Amino acid sequence: MRIELSVNGEPCEADVWEGESLLYALRERLGLPGSKNACEQGECGSCSVLLDGKLVCACLVLAAQAEGHEIVTVEGLAEDGRLHKVQEAFVAAGAVQCGFCTPGLVVATADLLARNVYPSDDDIREALSGNLCRCTGYAKIFDAVRMAAASL
Amino acid sequence: MELLRPSSPEEATGALGNGSRALAGGTELVPLIRDGLVKADTLVEIRDVVPRGVTGTRIGAGTTLAELELDGEIPQALREACAQAASPQLRSMGTIGGNLLQATRCWYWRLGFDCWLHGGETCFARDGAQREHAVFGNDKCASAHPSDIAAALLALGATLRTTRREFAVAELYRLPTDDDRNVTTLAPDELILEIELTTPDASTYLKAMDRRKWSFPIVGVAAARFGGETRIALAGVAPIPWLLDSVAILDEATPLPGTGYKVEIARALVRRAIEAI
Ligand SMILES: Cc1cc2nc3c(=O)[nH]c(=O)nc-3n(C[C@H](O)[C@H](O)[C@H](O)COP(=O)(O)OP(=O)(O)OC[C@H]3O[C@@H](n4cnc5c(N)ncnc54)[C@H](O)[C@@H]3O)c2cc1C
Ligand code: SF4
Ligand code: FES
Ligand code: FES
Repeated sequence: MRIELSVNGEPCEADVWEGESLLYALRERLGLPGSKNACEQGECGSCSVLLDGKLVCACLVLAAQAEGHEIVTVEGLAEDGRLHKVQEAFVAAGAVQCGFCTPGLVVATADLLARNVYPSDDDIREALSGNLCRCTGYAKIFDAVRMAAASL
Repeated sequence: MELLRPSSPEEATGALGNGSRALAGGTELVPLIRDGLVKADTLVEIRDVVPRGVTGTRIGAGTTLAELELDGEIPQALREACAQAASPQLRSMGTIGGNLLQATRCWYWRLGFDCWLHGGETCFARDGAQREHAVFGNDKCASAHPSDIAAALLALGATLRTTRREFAVAELYRLPTDDDRNVTTLAPDELILEIELTTPDASTYLKAMDRRKWSFPIVGVAAARFGGETRIALAGVAPIPWLLDSVAILDEATPLPGTGYKVEIARALVRRAIEAI
C-alpha cells in the first residue's frame, strides 16, 4: 500500500507492506537510518521517534498507522546545519560509546526538555526509563541531559 | 495482509473474526505478528471507531495509558497502575483496551515453544525457567498475567461495555482449560468500547518489579475501599488477574519451587496497600 506522511517537516510517500513497522519504512524506504533497530520489542527505545509530538517506539508502530501523521526522527532535530543542543551536549559530555542507543536517547531527551526545562534527576530517570544503554552506565548520559537543560 | 479502516463499530465487528485482528495502538500486536505468534490476514484499525478519552466515570477503550496517568479525576489505583506500566514510549501508544487483552510474557510462549498454552502437551515453565511465573491457578499453565491495569480495574469492580454486552471486568478473564486455552471470554469479533468505573472512597496500586521503572509486575497489588469493604486484586500471580477474596487466601497459594518468594512479596504489599487506604 502507498502511504503519505510528514517526516521531519517534509511531506513523503512510501510503498509499504501492511504489516511493516514505521521503523522499517524510515530506515529502508525513506533513507533515514538514524533511528536504530535493536530489539524490535519495545524494550530498548533505540528506535524512539516523535509521532504527532509524542514519543513512541517506531518498531511497534505500523508504517500504515503513521499515514497522515507527523514524524520527527533524530535526523530532524538539527536546524540550519547546526546540531540540536541535546546533540551538542551528548558530544560534549562524552555520553556516547558504541552509539547505538544515542539517537533514541537524544530524541527522548529533546522530548523531555521540550516539556520540562528544569528536570529533576527523577524526571530524567522517568523520561529516559524506556531507553536502555549497554555501554555507558548512564552517568554521562545524565551529565549530558543536565548540560543540555542548562544550555536551553 | 490487508489493512482496513472501518468508520463504525458495526463495520469493524463485521470485518473481525476469520483470521482478522483488531489493531489499536499496536504495541502488543505488531511484534506478535512480526514474530509469527499471531497470524492475521487482515488488520482492522479501530482507532476511529472505539471511544477515546474520559467522560465522568466512563473511559473509552482507545484512551492511552499516557492520557490516563495524567488524569486527576480517575481513581488513584488506576492512575498509578498506568503510570507504573511499561515505558513512556509504550504508554503514549498503548491503549487501555489493548492492555487488558495483552498476551502472557512467558518466554516459552513468546519464543514460540509448543507449550500447553500454545496447544501442546507440556508447560515447560514447570520444570524450567519460572522465576516470573504464577502462584495461583497454575496447574495447567503457570504464566503470570502482566497487566497492572487489569488488576486495578478488578479491585475497582469496573464493568466493560463491548459491542455485544456489559459485564464485570472479572468476567473478561477465565483460567484456560484443556478444551479451551483462551484466557479471555471476548469473542473474536467483539470489541471493548468503554470501561465504566466505580468511585471508591480510596484506592492504591503498589508494584514490585525488577527495577524501579519500566518492568512488568513481579507482583502488583491493587486495593480499593468502598465504605467498610476493601477489594484487593493482584497482577503477576496467576494466568489471569487475580481477585483476592480475603488476605487469608494467600496461605492457599500453590507456588512453583521458583516462585514462592512472590507469595511473601504479595503478603507485604497487600498489608501496605490496606494500610495506605
Ligand atoms: C516492552 C513492553 C513492556 C510493557 N510493560 C507493561 C507493564 O509493566 N504493565 C502493563 O500493564 N503492561 C505493560 N505492557 C503492555 C502494554 O501496556 C500494552 O502493550 C498496550 O497497552 C497494548 O495496547 P495497544 O493499544 O498497543 O494494543 P494492540 O497491540 O493494538 O492490541 C493488543 C490486543 O488487544 C486487541 N484489542 C485492542 N484494543 C481492543 C478493543 N478495544 N477491543 C477488542 N480488542 C482489542 C488486539 O486485537 C490485540 O489482540 C508492556 C508492553 C511492552 C511491549
Ligand atoms: S507457563 Fe503457560 S505459557 Fe509458559 S510454558 Fe507454561 S503453558 Fe506455556
Ligand atoms: S528497537 Fe524499538 S524498542 Fe528496541
Ligand atoms: S553507548 Fe552503547 S548502548 Fe549506549
